[in-house]
Amino acid sequence: MQVYIDILFWIRQKKWLLVAVAYGLIMHFQVSPPEGLSPQAYDALIIISMALILIIAEPLPLPAIAMFMLFMQVVLGIDTANHVASSFMNDAVFFIMGSLMLAVAIVSQGLDKRLALGIIKLTGHKTWRIIAGFTAISALLSSFIGEHTVAAMMMPVGLTLVRYAHKDPQKVRGLTAALLFSIAYGATLGSIGTPSGGGRNVIMMNYWSEFGAGSVSYLHWMKYVYPMVLFEIPFTVLILLWTFKPEQSNLDSAVRKLVIDVAHAGRIKGRELLAIMLFILIFLSWVFLSERIGLGIIALLGVFLYLAFGLVEWNELNRKTNWGVILLFGAAISMGIQMNETGAAAWVAQVISHNLGKIIENPALLQGSVSIFLTGFMSNLLSSSATVAIVGPIVLDLGADKILIGYSTAIASAFGYFTAVAAPACTIIYSSGLVRSQDFLRAGWKMGVLSVVSLLGLALLWWPVLR
Amino acid sequence: MKTRPLINPKTLKFLTAVSSAEYSLQTLKMGSLIRSVFDASLGVVYVGEKASEFHGSSVNLTRHNLDSWNIIHPGLEVLKWALKELKKLNPDNQALARVSFNADHVFEEDGRVRVVLPDELSTRVELILREGELIHQLRKEIQLEAYDLAIIGGSQNKRRLAHSIIQYLPSSILVLQKFNPRKKYSLLLLVDDSPATAKSVEWGALIAEKLGWPVKTLTVSKTKRFGLGYQGAADMAQAYFEAKGITIEQFFLTGDPVETFVKFAGDDHFVIMGASTLNPLKQLFLGSKPIRTLERTDIPILIVR
Repeated sequence: MQVYIDILFWIRQKKWLLVAVAYGLIMHFQVSPPEGLSPQAYDALIIISMALILIIAEPLPLPAIAMFMLFMQVVLGIDTANHVASSFMNDAVFFIMGSLMLAVAIVSQGLDKRLALGIIKLTGHKTWRIIAGFTAISALLSSFIGEHTVAAMMMPVGLTLVRYAHKDPQKVRGLTAALLFSIAYGATLGSIGTPSGGGRNVIMMNYWSEFGAGSVSYLHWMKYVYPMVLFEIPFTVLILLWTFKPEQSNLDSAVRKLVIDVAHAGRIKGRELLAIMLFILIFLSWVFLSERIGLGIIALLGVFLYLAFGLVEWNELNRKTNWGVILLFGAAISMGIQMNETGAAAWVAQVISHNLGKIIENPALLQGSVSIFLTGFMSNLLSSSATVAIVGPIVLDLGADKILIGYSTAIASAFGYFTAVAAPACTIIYSSGLVRSQDFLRAGWKMGVLSVVSLLGLALLWWPVLR
Repeated sequence: MKTRPLINPKTLKFLTAVSSAEYSLQTLKMGSLIRSVFDASLGVVYVGEKASEFHGSSVNLTRHNLDSWNIIHPGLEVLKWALKELKKLNPDNQALARVSFNADHVFEEDGRVRVVLPDELSTRVELILREGELIHQLRKEIQLEAYDLAIIGGSQNKRRLAHSIIQYLPSSILVLQKFNPRKKYSLLLLVDDSPATAKSVEWGALIAEKLGWPVKTLTVSKTKRFGLGYQGAADMAQAYFEAKGITIEQFFLTGDPVETFVKFAGDDHFVIMGASTLNPLKQLFLGSKPIRTLERTDIPILIVR
């Protein structure tokens, strides 16, 4: 009887794997490809759909899903093994690998204590000013060093303030939520500002060059997108204060205790200075050299420098880097390229345009709506980078200007404010156990409205000025 | 009744699942009470949500950074609280009084984090942190440490989880619902012809002996006739309790078993019943007496496996 229980338990744990496999088998063997879709394109869509089920439900580890996407391309005859291998590794994957390792290297320097002192010096003791400072600093920093790095550095500062504000964080729920969300939402909205803000931005840049839309420079991206970051910061602060209504208007005592805590760090050390200088060097290389040598290569160069100067140990990088995510993005980008090459992406784009065209007649409005709402919706289920990797090829085939719709897709992929799973910064604050999933909905819908309005404003008012 | 006991009270291992200081105090109190009366070893496990694999490394990176600020994992905070409460609940336990919680003394093994307590052999308390889906993690923990009994709080999700708890946890299960450790309960032992009844009777006798609670046995038949199996089980139970010097009241009722249990138990009994021996597939689709009873009552239930 125990064997039967073990089998039933396995089925319970792996039911979504079984659903995905059953779906794949039925679609491949029982359903013919729709008219206008080649067998290879049809199979590519089946693999993507199965992968989506597996990514959302997570019945398998991410590396297993990555391997599934890779070997299925060859098994179903979509492409040869060598072509699949070459589409698997590219500059976007290098960037994701490099930025994950850079995050470990930067966070391990202990610069968060300096950051805490800097923010407190700027903001003073008033709660609203601290929340504004957290939001602004998280947004500005995450534009350059990535949201997960910023959230990892800011979380101790936020949690220490909460701890000093009241012994029981449950008694200051509003303050706790406002402080933690100022980190998460600040970091998330800032991550759209530059290509290095998030892996999804670099994935989009990779698709532009793969699909013949040309390339854009680091500064071009900033010129097109950064105004939205600056515009959203004050409104985000207002939304957080309005939604969570902090119980204390002044954090005088908490701030004093925090300053005493971090003052032990003493004067800035040579090692910390070197870490900052190396990052500035990486940043300048991204700005001035990335078009020539690629963002990913520069990120890897940065990791090399941190290792060469002994600022981080390889063992630490190896232990704290999520290699599974790197494999998954490599495989998802490879599938994205296959979707483009087999015509699957163009077919899906055409079906969407045809069906939604009956409701929305204006093509620009239709393309924009699909880009924003499809991406925004999916990024709340998956993760933002995975969304761009999968949705990117489809929206680029909608017929709009590939660069502009690419920008709006990359921006909309950061609209993962509604759930704890979409953005790394949101997952990080959720892991503290001090914010609830309902809190994401309470503030998230307001952030969603703000973001959609800001993006429309950017597309309708700012981009025409630049063109 | 078999002469060789099915339970060896000297080597019992209990597991208590805690979720927070706010909701788990009663569960921990029962864990502590039952541990002290049986002199069993006690594992306290916190099962937290696992971050999506996409952001798992970012969360871990943050947690490592938080360590340097002396901010510990929320699950370790709960285990720290649990140890403090266990000390308060067992003031006479000198070994336990001597140990202190140190969040740096943790050991990652077998997909879990174990807080290393000095003198674990004397305290016989283990603190475990796990992350992931509740039933999956509890099952792994029970299998790993071969616990005899898992003590679980009656949560709002009880009805949704009742089936999984009973079918997939490979130990006896005590689900504490509206449990008041100060209350003197009556033990209500459900006796029928199933193989688990013998072990249920042993558990009932042990608990009644240790806690001094009065015992009732209830045998329910769907028809007016009580078969030999039912009658034999009731006689065996009475003989066993008599041998232990415990007086019991016996009840024989007819009707739908679950309806009758629930109505009879009311809200002042502590129910003990055997796990179902139905085919697991049938249990999955049709349910079983323990599953339906757990779904329909709000009193503590011990399901003996």
